[in-house]
Amino acid sequence: MRHGPGRVGLRASAGLLALLLAAGCDAGASDGPGDGRQTAAGAAEIAGEIVLASGRDVTGKGGIRQQLIAEWNRQQEAKGSTSRARLVELPGSADQQRSQLLGALQSGSAEYDVVNLDVTWVPEFAAAGLVQQLPDRLVDSDVITSVAGTARWKDELYSVPFNSDVGLLFYRRDYLASAGVTKTDLGKDTGWPVLRQLIGALDTAGKKLPGPYAKGWTSQLDASYEGLTVNGIEAFASAADGFALTDEDGRYAGSVADLQAGLDELRNRTQAAYTLPDAVHSDEADTLTDFANGRTGFLRHWPYAYRTLHQSLSDQQLGVAPLPGKAVLGGQNLAVARGSQRSAAARQLVEFLTGKESERCLLDAGFAATRLSAYEDNGLTCNAAKPAGQATAGPAGERTDRMPRDSSGRPAYARGTLLPALENAVQRPRTPLYGAFSQTFTAQLARLQGDAPPSDAELAGDLDAELRRALPSR
Amino acid sequence: MARFDPRGKANRALLVGVPDYDFTRPEHPFGVAGDLPAVAHNLTGLERALRAGGVFAEDTITVTRPRTVDEFDQHLDAAVDAAEGLLLLYFSGHGAVPSTGDELWMLMRRATIVPGTESVFRGAVPWKSVLTVLSRARAERVVVILDCCYAGNASAAWDALGTAQRQRTSLLMSVQANNRIDAGDGDGPTPFTAQLVRLLRDGEAGFGELADRLRAHMSAHHTTLREPPEPWEPQSRSATSGADVLLAAPPVRPTGGRTAQPPPVLFSEPYGAGGRRPPPRSARARGRLRALARRPGGRRGLVPLTGRRRLAAAIGVPVVIAGLVATGLAVFDGGDGAPCTPPLELRLLTDPDLEPTLRKAAEAYLTSKANRTADGCRRSGITVYSAGAAATVAAFSRQSDPWQRPTGDDNNPQRDIGPQPDIWIPASFASVDRARLTSPERTYVTLEADPEPFAYSPVVLAVPQELAAEPAADRVGSLAALTEAIRKREARAEVRRTDPENTDAGLLATIGLYGGGTGGQDPASAERAVAQTGPPSRTGAELLCTLPDDDALDDRTTALVPEFLLKTGVGCDSATRTGRMAEYPVDVPGLSPTFVRVRWRGADRDEDARDHAVEGFRTWLTGKEGKTVSASVPSGGLAVFGQDGFRGGSGGHRPLGGGDFGALTDPGLLPGPALPTSMTEALKRYREAEGPGRVLFLLDSSGSMGGLWEGPGGAPGIIAQSLAGLGGQDEYGVWGVAGEPGSPRPYGEVLPFGKHKREEAQRAIPASAQVKDMEADPYQTLVAALEYMAQRGTDDHRPQLIVYLTDDEDNNRLAEGGRLNDLLAAARGRRTPVVMASLDSGGCDKGRPDAAVSEASGGRCLDTKGDLVARLRDEVARTGTGDEG
Repeated sequence: MRHGPGRVGLRASAGLLALLLAAGCDAGASDGPGDGRQTAAGAAEIAGEIVLASGRDVTGKGGIRQQLIAEWNRQQEAKGSTSRARLVELPGSADQQRSQLLGALQSGSAEYDVVNLDVTWVPEFAAAGLVQQLPDRLVDSDVITSVAGTARWKDELYSVPFNSDVGLLFYRRDYLASAGVTKTDLGKDTGWPVLRQLIGALDTAGKKLPGPYAKGWTSQLDASYEGLTVNGIEAFASAADGFALTDEDGRYAGSVADLQAGLDELRNRTQAAYTLPDAVHSDEADTLTDFANGRTGFLRHWPYAYRTLHQSLSDQQLGVAPLPGKAVLGGQNLAVARGSQRSAAARQLVEFLTGKESERCLLDAGFAATRLSAYEDNGLTCNAAKPAGQATAGPAGERTDRMPRDSSGRPAYARGTLLPALENAVQRPRTPLYGAFSQTFTAQLARLQGDAPPSDAELAGDLDAELRRALPSR
Repeated sequence: MARFDPRGKANRALLVGVPDYDFTRPEHPFGVAGDLPAVAHNLTGLERALRAGGVFAEDTITVTRPRTVDEFDQHLDAAVDAAEGLLLLYFSGHGAVPSTGDELWMLMRRATIVPGTESVFRGAVPWKSVLTVLSRARAERVVVILDCCYAGNASAAWDALGTAQRQRTSLLMSVQANNRIDAGDGDGPTPFTAQLVRLLRDGEAGFGELADRLRAHMSAHHTTLREPPEPWEPQSRSATSGADVLLAAPPVRPTGGRTAQPPPVLFSEPYGAGGRRPPPRSARARGRLRALARRPGGRRGLVPLTGRRRLAAAIGVPVVIAGLVATGLAVFDGGDGAPCTPPLELRLLTDPDLEPTLRKAAEAYLTSKANRTADGCRRSGITVYSAGAAATVAAFSRQSDPWQRPTGDDNNPQRDIGPQPDIWIPASFASVDRARLTSPERTYVTLEADPEPFAYSPVVLAVPQELAAEPAADRVGSLAALTEAIRKREARAEVRRTDPENTDAGLLATIGLYGGGTGGQDPASAERAVAQTGPPSRTGAELLCTLPDDDALDDRTTALVPEFLLKTGVGCDSATRTGRMAEYPVDVPGLSPTFVRVRWRGADRDEDARDHAVEGFRTWLTGKEGKTVSASVPSGGLAVFGQDGFRGGSGGHRPLGGGDFGALTDPGLLPGPALPTSMTEALKRYREAEGPGRVLFLLDSSGSMGGLWEGPGGAPGIIAQSLAGLGGQDEYGVWGVAGEPGSPRPYGEVLPFGKHKREEAQRAIPASAQVKDMEADPYQTLVAALEYMAQRGTDDHRPQLIVYLTDDEDNNRLAEGGRLNDLLAAARGRRTPVVMASLDSGGCDKGRPDAAVSEASGGRCLDTKGDLVARLRDEVARTGTGDEG
């Protein structure tokens, strides 16, 4: 056990080491090519484990992160380096992850070197000075442009995209076929008007569809969590070109007219004629279940649903397309904690975990990779890890993975659907006060779900006023 | 990288420094904060270093201490005109930004600050105009170095330059934007220039490397004057041509190379006695730097804050604020438009029964005036979460080490309990004592509890209306007498209480059930009196919400829950549910929520601000000075607790709010909080009531689990973590479930069934469990497991449990040929509950086999819609005797 004086002693000796190193702190500056910053910082560093804090994940994707960290450790050992990284799991709840990361980095109650941040938290952690600026080269031109936009705050790089996420449209090809739709393969040009027509066709087909079918589509419209914010922004961003609720400094930049157009779009999308009534109480898990059970023909969801849904639906039954209009970016970025005493090694770890091969491994495991090369470079393979489901089944065995893959082993939809969806995606408002924004936004949008919803004009006026109160404005 | 080598060209260096100012406060209210004697050392040191550097000939270096803007302009014009190769401009002195903008101004000797809604600098040079003048230069390359407060604010104007200028102009800024910095004590140069000079003397120095090394050094060894201090990080903008610029190439020193050389000492050590430097950002160093920054009349900042309200709001350095008051500048504006910095985050851990009310309270506080700073920003953010009450007490008392620094996957309170709280609100005052460890040297956490609870709610019998006693006097008595009376009115009457592991209320109810002391009931028979099919509800609200699912059960079942839930816990099925009345057992201790400030060892980065934020919330939540208010109209947090049916924490426990919800306003003398020892004893007796437990884990090891296998969130890791509640006397084992189709024994042993040392078992399971390229046969396996456990439990009543962890991929085989019904019948017939733990988000949806199997067996169905891992650990813990102590 490491209890008691042992630990105090460790800290004291670490402090002594730092002092000794500080005296010759520029000594190591010339031993690494091309990156003076790292080596200079590295010279004054304290040896020890790099702690990477990230939320618990039991969806099966989490294992790939662990494997990549293990691979980095192997590489360090092979190089004779003493650096080792260790994953510390935080609770599965995003609210609790954010609370612990903020509270710990602000107060020093726990020591993290690398933190895995939801993309909406990056401005807050950067503005609060809790994470370090990083060298620009960590987000190079291989990172998908829209995704790279999540990494910065006020022109400085504070994080590196680890895995992305984007809204997608899943649909039942077999339902469309039963309804007599001739082209059951929706391209990326499918807009909401076409979608509504298709839903009309499904409704008309009625009895030809399996029993559970109830309504055209479902999505995460529960106002008690982030789902309604995401769906709201997707509607708002689709309604007006170049729509933005905040400027580059996080100040409110919306207008009543834009808000009204957005509300109109959201109301159109979610009207009762097309939408499963349960959607207003549904989160990701609920909508996934409803769609998998055949209750709707369409579903707005995230890339991980591709793998999950293929466990129960065949390629002939399930289709996926970019979300009509604009889709919202999700995902997580890695950042180096301001207080890290192992910054240089931490940056190297981040560079490895977000590098080309790692991103390819993440893509193969079911994540939305952040780099173009993962989607486009057939010469790039994942040797660093064995992503989920990649094992080949024995002759008598069951398939470990029902997800369709392309000839290079990527999920089959990666290049033709996922990548274009990511490239065309928009961010949620970028502000250090994102929590206050999201709370205000959903509280107002929730009024649409009430018994006597306000008019678009009235709600747009109120939303504008409330957002002005919640965020600094220009 | 290509490098521009200016040697041999017509280069110019203009070194501008302002060590003395004609107008300083307090003599001159519009003056600057003070002189900067260190700047004189900067100019001397830098000039020497440049001369020795071989890039600038002696006559090409101009050193000036301009009194006025005109003087500065003349020198700049001359340098711009003369330079053909490299033009270097260095400035050190006071830098400032106006209250309504971001632009940097450089203050000359006769500078003054004119206050107003938009402060104006006289005798100062706007940085933007300097860049404009520099753009006229013929020089091939331009390098600017700024060592002043707010130097980083210069980057915006550089970013706005045209491509051609950005291609040739490099900018080095001593500190990040919006930060003030230490000017040193005046006996030597400023810390930034001291290091700059060292590096220039140290060997060949290009701009890029210089910037990187300065940044690494300064951020590791110095902090800015913000409060709390943040690492001092010089900024740079390299010319976009891609070629670096050589700034110095002094003759190489004879021995060893620079790695072996201590840095040359050019100046007297700026860090005072003994040449000691603060170690990089250790807690002690942080404290010392902060103390230095605070010391009035100590080190002077390179510039005073100049009415830049958002910064003033954020950093509040006392010396600076005093200066502003003296000059009459508006520090706090309060109007909109001033961006707020992200608020300080408070982590609030509470008991699961209290979580909904505390969420409401926190939400009300966050938007209240009490949480506003003077400039209208939020002082703090609060995240409310809960964790099992017994596990929380154990984590505080015995796991503060891994809670602060988790080292393994199996014991990680950061994940399993939640964030390290700043505030803990247990449901019982006694839990604070239970959570304290007797030997303080082994703990990394300190609990500072208020002297008394701020609210109160008795644990009552929520009796169906038809079964309740009519006269108020009959609604008060011992638990045994009250339940006896109910049973007399209805022979089939049942009593239920919640899981004693999960909430303090459940444990307090258990104290009453066991009757306390030696004269009390035997726990096993007391447990049989509240036995139910299926596991107990986790919270009082869940219990009151579950009962109406079965009308007959609802009509005959009394719930032993906190009184306030009669108000807030009756929302589900409100139209059809049975109304309930409170009866008041005098021998069940009441809930006594208490405010506890939690401090973590070494968490001192923002100690004062955090204390302030916690205190602000405490005052709002509990009433002033930690005393609860028994006044008729409670405000703040007590109003929220009143709305939710709570009573006052002291005095006669009068209701904090009004409304008739089946409670008695004054049921007479209400029982006080429990004794810590009673709670500890009751928990121990509960865990041992039925003796050690037996758990058989079935780990789906079929091919499809391959994707759910690795890491702590993988299936073997989940099982290893769930062993946390099993002790040395409990028996358990693991079967791996996968086999050839039709195989008679479709499972293999991963961990033999028996007693284990927990740590060894936690290591053994992930090590020996393996995914097979085969299918699982859940039907055969579950039938075999039920049979196996039935044989173990023939001659005792020890609690048993089967856990089946699966991705449901082979669930279709459960229903083959109608055999699901056979399985359900078998599950009902055996007395071993089966927890179906589905790694599918919809695994427990109505109609799914997992839901059916667990329900038939009296076990729980868990899927990934909820926190599967935590819930599974709780289920296993209820079966085992748990953690000792």
